[in-house]
Amino acid sequence: MKMQKLVRAVGVAGCIAMAIPAVAQDIKLGVVAGMSGPGTSYGIGIKQGAEMAVKEINAAGGVKGRKIALVIVDDASNPAQSVTSMERLVNEPVDLVVGGWGSSQVLANMDVAERAGLPYIVVGATNPKITTDKNKWTFRVIFTDAVQAEQIADAAVKRLGMKRIAVIHDANDYGVGNRDVFLASLKKIGVEPVAVVSYQSADKDFTAQLSRIREANPDGVAIFGTIPAAPAIMNQARDLGIKARFIGTGGLANENLMTLAPKASEGTVLTTYFHEDADAQAKAWADRYVKEFSGSSQPPRPVLAAWEYRAIKYIAAPCLESSGTNKDKLRQCIASWKGNLFSVPGEAYFDKTGQLIQQSVLVEVGKGAFQAFKGK
Amino acid sequence: MFDQLLIGGLATGCIYAVVGLGFTLVYRTLRMVNFAQGQVFMVGAFLGLSIAQRVHLPVLPLLFVVGAVAFALGMVLERLVFRRLYHNHEVFVVGSIGLGIVLTNAVRVFFPEPVPFPKVFGSHVVQIGTARFQEAYFWVVVSTLVLVVLLHAMFAYTRGGRALRAVAADAEIAGTVGVNVNRAIALTFGLSFAVAAIAGVLIGPLYFVSFDMGDMVGLKAFSAAVFGGINSIPGTILGGLVIGVLENLAGGYISSAYKDLVAFVILLIMLIWRPTGLLGRDTPVKV
Repeated sequence: MKMQKLVRAVGVAGCIAMAIPAVAQDIKLGVVAGMSGPGTSYGIGIKQGAEMAVKEINAAGGVKGRKIALVIVDDASNPAQSVTSMERLVNEPVDLVVGGWGSSQVLANMDVAERAGLPYIVVGATNPKITTDKNKWTFRVIFTDAVQAEQIADAAVKRLGMKRIAVIHDANDYGVGNRDVFLASLKKIGVEPVAVVSYQSADKDFTAQLSRIREANPDGVAIFGTIPAAPAIMNQARDLGIKARFIGTGGLANENLMTLAPKASEGTVLTTYFHEDADAQAKAWADRYVKEFSGSSQPPRPVLAAWEYRAIKYIAAPCLESSGTNKDKLRQCIASWKGNLFSVPGEAYFDKTGQLIQQSVLVEVGKGAFQAFKGK
Repeated sequence: MFDQLLIGGLATGCIYAVVGLGFTLVYRTLRMVNFAQGQVFMVGAFLGLSIAQRVHLPVLPLLFVVGAVAFALGMVLERLVFRRLYHNHEVFVVGSIGLGIVLTNAVRVFFPEPVPFPKVFGSHVVQIGTARFQEAYFWVVVSTLVLVVLLHAMFAYTRGGRALRAVAADAEIAGTVGVNVNRAIALTFGLSFAVAAIAGVLIGPLYFVSFDMGDMVGLKAFSAAVFGGINSIPGTILGGLVIGVLENLAGGYISSAYKDLVAFVILLIMLIWRPTGLLGRDTPVKV
C-alpha cells in the first residue's frame, strides 16, 4: 500500500518537475505476491526484484522514453485475497503483471487475468496445472515440479552413477507429484527403485521408514519434501548408518537445510531455481542485489528476486520496447520470446502452454552452503 | 529391522507415557482432562533449549531446572486460569484447548522456524545387533523409569502424596479432615506440567524443536492414557509403550503413511472393548 502510494507520488512528482507538455504516459507494471502471511519471505524477494529491475530500466531512460511505474499489491498469501488483488490490478489498469507466489494463489488469480486479457508472467508457483493448453494470457518463467524431478532422476543415474535408489517422500501434493515423475523418469532410463516410502508433513520420527530403506541397501536416497522433515530425515538416516548420498528437488533449496542438518546434508545434490555461482553474470547480479537490500528490515531473498528481476528486465521490457502496451501484441511477443538469462544454462524459450523451457541448475551442499554442482 | 523398530518404539512410547501421566494426574484429582498437556510438553522443550543455549548444564541439573520451572508455571497457571475453569468440565476442556493455542502462538512469536536442540545427551551412536541408536534414546527410557519410581514413591510414602491421593479419592472428605484441597490441586497441576516439560527436554535432542511439536504428541499421549485407563498410572505407562511400539512396527512393516492411524484404531478398539481402559477402574457415581 505504502509502496504503491510512494511510487505514484514519485511518478507524479517526476512529471511536474520535468514539466514537459507532451510527456508520454508511464507504463504501469503490476506485481502481485504474498507480502504478508506464510509467503512473506518469498513475496518480499519478488518485490525487491521488481524494484531493482524497474529502477535500473528507468535510470537508463525507460522504455522508448516512457518510465515504468510499479503497482504492487499484497495478496496476503491467500487465494481469495489474491483474486481481489488481481482485480485491482485489472481496474488500475496495469499494462501487464509480473509476479505471483504460491500455486493456490496463482491458480485462483490467473483466471482474472485470463478473463481480462491481461498478460501475466508468473514467477513463483510450480504446480503443473498453471501452464496447460487452456491459458492464453498466463506465462511462467519458473520451472514446474515435473521438470526438476525428471532432471534429478537423470542426474542421479547418469552423473552420480546411482544404481540402487530409494525414495522417501511427503504424502502431500508436492511430494507425491515429484515421486510420480521421478519414478517414471527412472523407469525410462531402466532403473527400478529399491524402496519407496512416504511420511506425513508433521512427522518427527522417521526410523520406521528409514529402517525399510536401510534394509534395501541403497546407494542413493531421494527426498521429496520440505523443511523441517527433510533435514530430520537426513540426520536420522545417518544415525541409522545409512551412508547413501541424498538427492532432491526445490523443496530442499532452503538455507535452513544446512542449519538443521549441518553434517548429514553434506554432499546432497539437488535442483534449484537460481544459483549465483552458475555464471559470472549471476554472481555480479547477486552481489549487487544483496548490497542493495542488506540492512533493510527484510533480508535479501535472492531465489525469487532473481526470477522477478530477469522476467522484467529480459522478457517484459524488451517486449514493451518492441510491441508497446497493446495487450495482444505484448502477449504474442512474450509467447515467441527466446533468449539467454543469467544462471540458466543455454537458450530458454516459451512452449505452447506458456511455460519457459530451460535447464534447471544443479547444486551440491558443501561446507554448509549450496555450491554449483561440479560433478561429471 | 525388528529390534530397531522395537527399541525406537519403546523410546517414543516412553514419551507418550510421561506426557500421558500429566493427563492422568489431573484426571485423577479433578475428573477433568487438560488438553493443553501436549503444548506444555512443547513449552518444556523450549525451556530446555533456552537454558541449554545460555548455560552449559549437565543433563541431570538441566532436567531438574526445567522440571522446577515448569512446576512453578503449572502452579501459577492453576491459580490464574484453571481454578476459574474447573467448576464445569465443558468450560475446562474448551479453556484448556484455548490455553494450548495461546502457548503455541506465544512460542511461535519467538521461534517461528524449527530449531536444532543442543546434543545434551551426547551424540554417540550405540549399536545393538543390527539396530543403531543415539545415546539419547536410552536417556529417554531410563529417565522415564526414574520418573515413574519417583512419582510412585511420592504418592505412597510422603505426606503430600497421600494428601493428593486423598483429594483424588474424595475432595470433600479430604477437605473436612484437614487437607488443603486448593493447594493439593495446584500441586497436581505443577506435577503434571513438570513431567510433560521433562519429556520435552528428553525428546528435544532426538528431533528439532518447533512450536507445533506438542500437537500430535498430546493426542497420542491422551490416547495412551485412555488406552491404559486414564485414572491409572501403570495403565498410562503401559498404554504409552503399547502405542509407541505398535505404531512403529506398523510404520515399518505395513505402511508408513498409516502410522498415525494405528494409534487411533487401537484406541477405538479399546474404547469399545473396555471403556475404562486396560487397567482403569470404573468410578462409581455417588448419589
